[in-house]
Amino acid sequence: MTERRALFPDMSPTRWSVAGVVLLALCLFPLAESNQYVLTVFVTSMILAVLNISWNFVLGIAGVWNFGQLAIYALGGYGAGILMLHTSLPAALDVIVGGLMAAAISIVMAVPTLRLFGIYTSLLTFAFAEVVQYVIENTSTGLTGGTFGFPSVRGLYGSLSPVVAMHAYYWTVLGIIVISMVGVALLSRSRLGIGLRAIRDAPGFAAARGVSPLRYRMLAFALSGFLAGVAGALYLSFNQSIAPTVMGLTAMSIDVTMLVIGGLGTLFGPIIGTTIVAVVETLLVSYPGIEFTVVGAVLLVIVIFVPGGVVGLASRVRSRLPTWNARPRPGVMGSGSSPPRPAAALGDGVPALHTSDGQER
Amino acid sequence: MTDLVGILVTTVILGSIYGLVAIGMTLIYGTLRILDMSQGSMVMIGGFVAWGVLVSAGWSPVLAILFAFAATFLLGTATQLVSVQPLMGRRNSIDFEMITFITTFAVAMILTNVALEVFGPEQRNVTPVISGSVDIYNGVNLPYQSIAMAGVAILFMVGLWAFLGMTRWGMAIRAVAQDLDAARLMGVPVSKLYPVTMGLASSLAGIAGVFLGSLYFAYPSAGNLPLLEALIVVVFGGLGSLSGTVYAAYAIGLIQAVTEIFIGTTWDLPILYGVIIVVLIVRPQGLRGKPSEARL
Amino acid sequence: MNEPLLEIRSLSAGYGSATVIQGLDLSVRAHESAVIIGPNGHGKTTLLRAIAGLVRASEGEVRFDGVPINGRSPERIAASGVVLVPQGDGLFPEMSVEDNLLMGAFVSSSWRRRRESLERVYSLFPQVKERARQQARTLSGGERRLAALGRALMRTSKILMIDEPSLGLAPIAIDAVYGAIAELKERETTLLLVEENFSHVRGVADSFHLLEMGTIVRTGSYDELVKDEEIASAYLGSAVES
Repeated sequence: MTERRALFPDMSPTRWSVAGVVLLALCLFPLAESNQYVLTVFVTSMILAVLNISWNFVLGIAGVWNFGQLAIYALGGYGAGILMLHTSLPAALDVIVGGLMAAAISIVMAVPTLRLFGIYTSLLTFAFAEVVQYVIENTSTGLTGGTFGFPSVRGLYGSLSPVVAMHAYYWTVLGIIVISMVGVALLSRSRLGIGLRAIRDAPGFAAARGVSPLRYRMLAFALSGFLAGVAGALYLSFNQSIAPTVMGLTAMSIDVTMLVIGGLGTLFGPIIGTTIVAVVETLLVSYPGIEFTVVGAVLLVIVIFVPGGVVGLASRVRSRLPTWNARPRPGVMGSGSSPPRPAAALGDGVPALHTSDGQER
Repeated sequence: MTDLVGILVTTVILGSIYGLVAIGMTLIYGTLRILDMSQGSMVMIGGFVAWGVLVSAGWSPVLAILFAFAATFLLGTATQLVSVQPLMGRRNSIDFEMITFITTFAVAMILTNVALEVFGPEQRNVTPVISGSVDIYNGVNLPYQSIAMAGVAILFMVGLWAFLGMTRWGMAIRAVAQDLDAARLMGVPVSKLYPVTMGLASSLAGIAGVFLGSLYFAYPSAGNLPLLEALIVVVFGGLGSLSGTVYAAYAIGLIQAVTEIFIGTTWDLPILYGVIIVVLIVRPQGLRGKPSEARL
Repeated sequence: MNEPLLEIRSLSAGYGSATVIQGLDLSVRAHESAVIIGPNGHGKTTLLRAIAGLVRASEGEVRFDGVPINGRSPERIAASGVVLVPQGDGLFPEMSVEDNLLMGAFVSSSWRRRRESLERVYSLFPQVKERARQQARTLSGGERRLAALGRALMRTSKILMIDEPSLGLAPIAIDAVYGAIAELKERETTLLLVEENFSHVRGVADSFHLLEMGTIVRTGSYDELVKDEEIASAYLGSAVES
């Protein structure tokens, strides 16, 4: 138990029990629910959750502004699909190989981002995704099925009856979510996670300390790409097909909204965000068309008014209570470009933190 | 020789229209330090306005341009007020660019889906602004529409250049781009200037949309490809550099013209993307960007 | 003329949670030239930025020309006649010197007279006229300071605030800058200067205000202040040696 606490520092015993109950309920849910539509919504959302966990790792924890994750996801799906269609390998192996292919492409995508900063990275990765989509839609090789989508495949559990297959997919995806969450939690506390955050927050300093951006970021992209690719392969498998629309602008908006609403860079953010958006989408299903407009509006409101997403909001509310009275002590600060000020001016040796609103601009 | 003339003509036409879409993005990035993902939607809306004015109402192309200008100017201004202005307080945080990337993206999503609700998904034919064509060199056939398009695009780019270089408010936009605090000390009302700048930039995209709409079609996702092309141009030219954007627009027009003639249209985007990667690996700040920070 | 042009009462301001200026009082009469002296990092620049509206005041009041201006945006304060030459000059680096000067006349009342103002600045600073077509970033430090001063003169100002006119300049350039400031004083411009010590400002100042630890600790004429040995040894600077 102590080991676990170290792994999830935010988790109190109460929260562990809540999480346990939720997980147990999720495990048992398909046995109680016989409506195949509801289960389909659940599995689809859970597959998206896997994708979002992988994206959150690169975007939130490694801090690389990668907007090409959906291309990796789609490529994992297409890769697995091509294997299922043209080889006789076991389907589970196809899913894993699809994930590995996605990881490889993700590494390739990582190379140019190593030299670029901020917005250039997002542009380049975004353009990468668009190009991948364009090629999938327009290639004349016939491998992808173009805009019409991939030819039908049997998928992972194609030999089972539909109802049993639904349960199998449900538990498989749920298992992958649990494994990947534990994995992300472990990785965040590992050398890799600490190194990634160091590169994110202070690239120069991290490099000077021997944290190699090359190795760390490549590894982050590889791991996240693998998970995204597996998610894509699961999507293909579950839907027995895949189409370029899984990675279009609309799909990307939905996923970005999920991440932002949940809270970028947090462990539970992707899950919470995916759940909220999936619920909203399901509620709006009888008003076709307005769902994306609503999702876009929600995204705007959350980004502007709730910067840390739901997880950030929750932790702010919690931390507010004890520190309500402890207002920061006024210290004397110099203007931005002044050289170090006399010690006397600092007041009781309060460390001179950098000004929060970047005076030097 | 025919190929050469064809390439040249295609370069000028494509380059001009890319320039017109991308220069607005550059203007916005230079001034507000945000990458406006709603620019593609402005192209789409320009296309629908053209359809409405030319096809539904049967009015003149000049009106189409004027209406597109006005509609996208207002929309661009509103976009700034809704999705960027509330965030200006966080302007100096490192996440500002990404946050506004997401919020303008959300606006694009809303606009696209509203257009989908209102107009439906089908592609609408827009009458060419001008019909007919001219044979400029044995077999290189050039529609008047394309000539007008390039002409108007160049006209607006020159107009923008003159506006920024010579007028009071144009200089103020440049001043804000270069030193925000100093510009405010000069009395430049930035809270008004920002929305107007974004409106202006959006209206350029809207005008491009009038022509692109009649060249292709008007439909809700008509802005996606122009957005992608503008992004490529903007990165290639160096974020925030107007001259770099213009060079990059024509360079990319050239690359695309060559690929289309010798390889085929399927591969022009991937090849462009490859070129961009190579350029960015050699010069991470693009053609004309400053190594650390892009400026107007 | 009884009320001072600029009056600051118990002003506190700073960045984020760090308060730089605390309970500061200061008043400047019209046509006076006031100088704030104090060590680095004690709030001189912050004070000027707070008056200009670039830094929000957390407490206190800034009255200019009889009306409270704290809380207004910098552009509104600028339009009411407060001109600040900021630290580092704040020239627009990628604009020509002439465009920089024209930006100085951005406020609509001054924009109409921009041609005459331009001629006036050029005759005052011939060195700036020589550089009119060059981009501002290509100027030397001294030329830059003069261009910034010239830009400040493009607008009808009621008070001209200059943040460390001598900072980072070679002695000969400092002389040129202070020559210009002396001329401004001659024309009865209301001036509020900030300097680290007395060495350059002695001749141009009517009153001195000593700013330490975020507040004004002494006010007086040069003669009054240098009687205090502690002040003399801390702030006379090179003036003592010469």
